[in-house]
Amino acid sequence: MRRVGYVLGAAGQGFWRNPVMSLASTFTVTLMLLLFSFFLTTDRGLQAAVGVLESKVEIAIFLDDDAKVSQIIALKARVEANPAVSRAEYITKDQALQRLRDVADRRKDFVIADVDSNLLPASLEIKLADPRQAKQLGDDLRAEIGGGVVADVIDNPQVVDQLLTITRVLSIGGIAILAMMLFVALFVIVNTIRIAVHARRDEIEIMQLVGASDAFVRWPFILEGMLVGALGAVFALSVVFAASGPVTGAMLDFLVTLPISLGPDFAFQLAASVLSVALLVGAGGATLSVRAHLAK
Amino acid sequence: MIALDDVSKRYPNGTFALRDVDLRIDAGDFLFLVGSSGAGKSTLIRLLIREEVATTGRVVVDGEDVGRMPRSRVHLLRRKVGVVFQDFKLLPRKTVAENVAFALLVTGHEGRLVREETARALSLVGLTARRDHFPGQLSGGEQQRTAIARALVNRPRILIADEPTGNLDPVTSWEIIKLLTRVCELGTTLVMATHNAEIVNALRRRVVHLDHGMVVRDEREGLYAA
Repeated sequence: MRRVGYVLGAAGQGFWRNPVMSLASTFTVTLMLLLFSFFLTTDRGLQAAVGVLESKVEIAIFLDDDAKVSQIIALKARVEANPAVSRAEYITKDQALQRLRDVADRRKDFVIADVDSNLLPASLEIKLADPRQAKQLGDDLRAEIGGGVVADVIDNPQVVDQLLTITRVLSIGGIAILAMMLFVALFVIVNTIRIAVHARRDEIEIMQLVGASDAFVRWPFILEGMLVGALGAVFALSVVFAASGPVTGAMLDFLVTLPISLGPDFAFQLAASVLSVALLVGAGGATLSVRAHLAK
Repeated sequence: MIALDDVSKRYPNGTFALRDVDLRIDAGDFLFLVGSSGAGKSTLIRLLIREEVATTGRVVVDGEDVGRMPRSRVHLLRRKVGVVFQDFKLLPRKTVAENVAFALLVTGHEGRLVREETARALSLVGLTARRDHFPGQLSGGEQQRTAIARALVNRPRILIADEPTGNLDPVTSWEIIKLLTRVCELGTTLVMATHNAEIVNALRRRVVHLDHGMVVRDEREGLYAA
């Protein structure tokens, strides 16, 4: 019990022995964690947005009016068998007309002139599981035009490509910024603990001379690093949760077309992730620092 | 208890601190290590507690090859070898009793054992009455006795003293030597590096004389100078 008391006491003393440096590193860790939270939240929001948009990515196959039902069923089965396709829906000529009517009902400037002779084709609407395959699938289907079943293929691979590019850039950029911040936080913690180690170098020397194990020497510093990390996490999460209400409101106003809000499950995941990263960075930085000292 | 077989220590700048040293120290021996500054006394001591590793040769302490010992076992060696230095190396913010108990605490002991062993060590060095004083409130001799108590509290089989009287006046030096002699009589092997000719000549114990890293004299009941 006294050993545990010694380790905890030494960690606390270490933190308060040099409060300016400890608070400076806590502040840096807080900033890093705020960025991490921002990245995590944005990434999750973007993933949701991409999910919504991707579910709208479709390829529409306009079917020949003369195509037989058996041919259409065969085509549908063939399309659905493609792993890039999540589902294919058959839209009859009547359903297509009904949709047009629905749209017309909502828009006053839209009038359907001739409803007696339905010129709209029946179609297969394809939702993709993997939007990156949109172009390839569109090209394959386009090759079947004129075969008596496929009349035309409408796809929009460009939008898909752009969307994926944006997602990729944001992911890579976010990871790069986060990596840099992680490096800065680690650097600051390493230096904070180095100062703590230096302040207690006589004690460490005596501990080693009388036969304390390296682990016993190391633990107070690792705990001190974790204390810095944990305090940083508490500050960062306080800011994030205090700001989450107004920011979510503003985002919902801004992104009217994407009504995405992140719920309590995400809040828990965020808190757990932030705390884990904080403790890991604190312990990792301290371990690096004290290990360098012990290896001398 | 201690054996050095053909041990040499060369530092990266090329200088030899020790050269072809062969030495046997039996359990219960009291050995003076003498020689001028830079002769290799401190290097030899550092090899015994694995603060340094021999460049060639073998250093065996209590049956273990110290040079080949993995780093993870070094702390176990140091529990068997108590060390006392010229500059005492006490923690100024801890009391005498806390300084002594510290050696037990950081080696995994707790509770009653720490209290009892600390009291025993303080009684052995005659500092029971000063147990709650801080090092700054003690004389040089008392500080060295505290350091000896700390070195002995883990009941090491070997005690190494590197110039233990170097910072003390002659009267206090004799007090420390008497104490160390008693410790040796109680069964601890004692290796003491010193420049104090008077003490060496008065005690007539084994003397190992180092010069330029080599053992030039090893006498059973030796004098400081040949």
